[in-house]
Amino acid sequence: MNGIFKLLGPCVLVGLLGLCGCRPAATGGSNAAGSKPDGRLTIGVAFETLQTEYWVAGFEAIKAELTTRDAEVLEAIADSDPNRQLRQVRNFITRGVDGIIMVPKDAKSCIPAIRAANDAGIPIVLFNRPAGETDAVSVAIQADNFRIAKETTEFLLEQARKTGQKHKAMIVMGDLGDVNAIGRKDGFDAAVAGNQDIVEVVSRVPSEWNQEKAQAGVVNGLQAHPDISLIFTSSDFLLPSIVSALKSADKYHKIGESGHVILGGFDGDATTFKMLEEGYLDATGVQDVYFEAEQTVQAVMDLIEGKDVPPLIEDPGFVIHQGNMQEMAPRTWGANVR
Amino acid sequence: MLRIVRRIVQSGYLTLVLSFLYALLMAWAAPGFATLANATNIVDAMLPLLIVATGQTIVLMTAGIDLSATAIIALTSVVGAWIVTGDDGLLAEHPAATPIAILCMLLVGSLVGLGNGMCIAWVKMPPFIVTLSTMMLVSGLSEWMTQSRSIYNLPDSFLFFGKNIGVAFAIAVVVAISGQLLLTRTWLGASLKHIGSNPATARTSGIQIERGILATYAISGCCAAIASLLITAQLETGSPVQWENNLLDIIGATVIGGTSLFGGRANVAWTACGVLLLTLIDNSLNLLNLSHFSIMMAKGGVILLAAWLDTLRNRWEQQ
Amino acid sequence: MNQPLLRLRDIGKSFFGNPVLQNISFEMQAGQTIGLVGENGAGKSTLMNILGGVLAPDSGDMELFGNTYCPDSPRASARAGIAFIHQELNLFPNLSVAENLFLSHFPKKLAWINRSELHKRSQELLARVGLDISPGTKVQSLSAGQRQLVEIAKALGEEARLIILDEPTTSLTDHEVRKLFRLLRELQSQQVSMIYISHALGDVKELCDRILVLRDGQVVADKMAADLQIPDMIRLMVGRQLDRLFPESKSQPGESIVLEANRISQPGVVHEISFQLRAGEVLGLAGLMGSGRTELARILFGLEPMAEGELRLLGEPVQRLSVSQRINKGMAMLTESRRVDGLCTQDSALANLTMVVAKKFTSRLGWIRRRSLHSSASQMAEAVRLNLAEGMNQAVCTLSGGNQQKVVLGKWLLNKPKLLILDEPTRGIDVGAKFEIYALIDQLACEGAGILVISSEIDELMGICDRILVMSQGELKDELQSREFNRERILKSALHADAIWEGDV
Repeated sequence: MNGIFKLLGPCVLVGLLGLCGCRPAATGGSNAAGSKPDGRLTIGVAFETLQTEYWVAGFEAIKAELTTRDAEVLEAIADSDPNRQLRQVRNFITRGVDGIIMVPKDAKSCIPAIRAANDAGIPIVLFNRPAGETDAVSVAIQADNFRIAKETTEFLLEQARKTGQKHKAMIVMGDLGDVNAIGRKDGFDAAVAGNQDIVEVVSRVPSEWNQEKAQAGVVNGLQAHPDISLIFTSSDFLLPSIVSALKSADKYHKIGESGHVILGGFDGDATTFKMLEEGYLDATGVQDVYFEAEQTVQAVMDLIEGKDVPPLIEDPGFVIHQGNMQEMAPRTWGANVR
Repeated sequence: MLRIVRRIVQSGYLTLVLSFLYALLMAWAAPGFATLANATNIVDAMLPLLIVATGQTIVLMTAGIDLSATAIIALTSVVGAWIVTGDDGLLAEHPAATPIAILCMLLVGSLVGLGNGMCIAWVKMPPFIVTLSTMMLVSGLSEWMTQSRSIYNLPDSFLFFGKNIGVAFAIAVVVAISGQLLLTRTWLGASLKHIGSNPATARTSGIQIERGILATYAISGCCAAIASLLITAQLETGSPVQWENNLLDIIGATVIGGTSLFGGRANVAWTACGVLLLTLIDNSLNLLNLSHFSIMMAKGGVILLAAWLDTLRNRWEQQ
Repeated sequence: MNQPLLRLRDIGKSFFGNPVLQNISFEMQAGQTIGLVGENGAGKSTLMNILGGVLAPDSGDMELFGNTYCPDSPRASARAGIAFIHQELNLFPNLSVAENLFLSHFPKKLAWINRSELHKRSQELLARVGLDISPGTKVQSLSAGQRQLVEIAKALGEEARLIILDEPTTSLTDHEVRKLFRLLRELQSQQVSMIYISHALGDVKELCDRILVLRDGQVVADKMAADLQIPDMIRLMVGRQLDRLFPESKSQPGESIVLEANRISQPGVVHEISFQLRAGEVLGLAGLMGSGRTELARILFGLEPMAEGELRLLGEPVQRLSVSQRINKGMAMLTESRRVDGLCTQDSALANLTMVVAKKFTSRLGWIRRRSLHSSASQMAEAVRLNLAEGMNQAVCTLSGGNQQKVVLGKWLLNKPKLLILDEPTRGIDVGAKFEIYALIDQLACEGAGILVISSEIDELMGICDRILVMSQGELKDELQSREFNRERILKSALHADAIWEGDV
């Protein structure tokens, strides 16, 4: 019998907690409504991870943007665990935040968190990764992958045309379960479709967003087609793998040197920017983190004020290349995180 | 003086008292802590942890350890989701899909646990290395099965176990009470206590150590599967990395409760207190807007402290 | 008279309240060899451990060369000049002989080990002990006798002033023993002091100048070897009056055979053991430590494997059964060390008492019927006169040795055993509790159980047994009916030294 009582102990305690809770909840009700005495807004920022430079840059940009607008920031990093993120979002709700900005782990597992925010009547904006199809309501800011990839590829093909030869091309693709990867691949294909006369895609390397797989795929592709002279990667973080494969095939040369392989990427991280500066890389499509951060914060503010916001806001991005490098550097996050 | 300190440290209520004091402190310090909504959050976060920790407590009774618990959660999550998902699920849209999926989850969890048990009881390998290898093996298996992708589109009948906190609460309480009764009221539980206290004595007294150990790991695997059901349903996602980072919470909660890593001293009620304290810490520090890293450090510190108390208790008992 | 080399005054030591040594006082002169003899448990090892710095005495003081000597560690005793050569040798088998010899004091040239010096001095030492091997030889390639000699060489190299030899001959061949003795005599002529401990009484008498006989932790004789004959030694070792009371035996061996062992063998442990145990009989098993008596008991109970032979319990073969199956058939065993495998010391008396029997109080679903289990356990606690200050939930580790032993006994009695094996049932418990345990044994025999008792105390066996078997070196050497009980004969068979005093007794 004793044992059961002991087991009941914690349950009773939790009950007590709840009872205690009823009292402050009555007075704190206004808190949840969001009208703080000092009028400052509280925004919860929940990131799935801070493990790549891109997320750090986005996190910092959002916090900076919120601070300039005099909002209080609550932060939570879920360490790649959607469960923890769900709990963190619930904690935001408990603390009575006015709005939530979230980077989810993936398109689907974030839906319960969005639903929790919906139920509490708190607006939620997803940064860079939109939610999958669902009845839960959120706003997402996302780079226009198709457009940026298409523009980048078009720039590469322009360089190719200047050589006056026909080129054989390779694309390193991402995880095809990821909408971002599909958008980028489609953008590349669209650009190639308009330039069949100078380019032929001979190798498509599936990387599943994995560096080892990318490297192995590129090595194999270069062996099968030693005459590949144009490579586009769906993300810059795969570039080091590609460079190492090129080096072992003795095909890594600066622009203008004989045997240079025309290289293009997507993201605009620090390593890539350095390659651009050193003259190895022709162009990369940049997600405009600063634009996205600003738009994200703006969307949250608009939602709090009750304005209409479209469910998807696209970041048009831009292409940074040898020609506009100096001019676009300040807007390229990779140029600023070093 | 030392006697009083010993009494407090040795009592099973220490953690409960600490939890209560801590809750009072946080009600004052952390904004939004003492609200009904937050109490729900806390209970909600406690439930799956309590279920896995119950299994872990039973394993710890025999001086074993089950490091594969989180990997079993992930595997069963994938297995269950794979059967019921509307996207090409094995039994998509079938009316009996959910019960069959749940049965399969329990079966898979218990079987993996049984595998652990066989290596430990029959082959006499150390539990640490066996369950560590199982963890890697099973994680790899779930990643391979899904090619690292999560499984979505689970039917409402399955999500029922995550949407309704009452159902989850009932399941967790039933599991915890059953675990407690097993340990205190059954012949198996009594045997496990002897195995953990002194395996040589258990052997000379005719207790079948092998069977006891097999049972504990199977139970632990089954508990992990039950927890996985709640987690998967709550997140609406079957994921091969489900709960990957929560292993320390599971073992930590049992040790904080006062269950001994040296075996022979385990109690699910204590574990429930440990789960409560650990969840309170996690929740309150979150509300205090401390970063994830400082929360991890705080929890690590508390678990270390609890392990130290355990060692202290053990040394006093040796005297 | 010159200063004694070693002087002990009133040394006392007790473990858990049981005195092991009492008022030990003796002196030894430099150059003397003292023999130390006594039964198992007489306190020889404890005394030597105190000299060797392993244990600290509770009372009394020691002097070495006129200085107060109170070593706090084996190192301290080695530094003071005492070399201790154990039954288990303390050499590093993976190192060379020379390295072992100079482990603690390598000859050095600056920081470097002076190899040539090491080699030269090792050869000198090996020559002194008459070992013709290269100093570079690895110890693991040496025989037991050679290792013994290396140990002695090491002691000489450390310029030990007193060498203690504890059972040096047990693992040696006859040839090696002769060689060792030649060396020891030579050392005696070089005025090296020694304490020689052995069960081989003939050896002791031959080698030593003076002999100390230890019994129950006290020096009962301190005589020149020439004045002490071997039969006297044995009588002194065991020859106390029956100062302990045994309950009057009411049990009577019956006709039916409870246990029948037929040519039980396990290589290196026991060899062709055959005996029968009747219902209601208390059968004693005497033997020295290492004679195989405990191992035999563990084999009978199924805790250790047996290679050959047949074992029948109440006519049924049981040699293939597991421990738990044998328990179900009615076997029970109180093991030699209750802390190691008799009790779960951190658990309650209730948990320990019910450990074996709880299965019988379990419903089909696995639930324990707690109320009836509890009341049975309480009755048993009363029956064995268990003294529990804090009730049935008192942790066993807080109980006295006697009460702990009663818990173990009660645990088995609850299962109503037909065969009870008791290995050292009264070790480390006080006289009153011993009497109660003897009474319980007799009562169980009255109820028709067969009982096998192993004990180092011959008096105890003679006090409670109907028959005694004597074991030595893994074999049964002798069997005595109660009318022929005779301490000297038992000890003689146990020592397996008939040759030495044949005709003397």
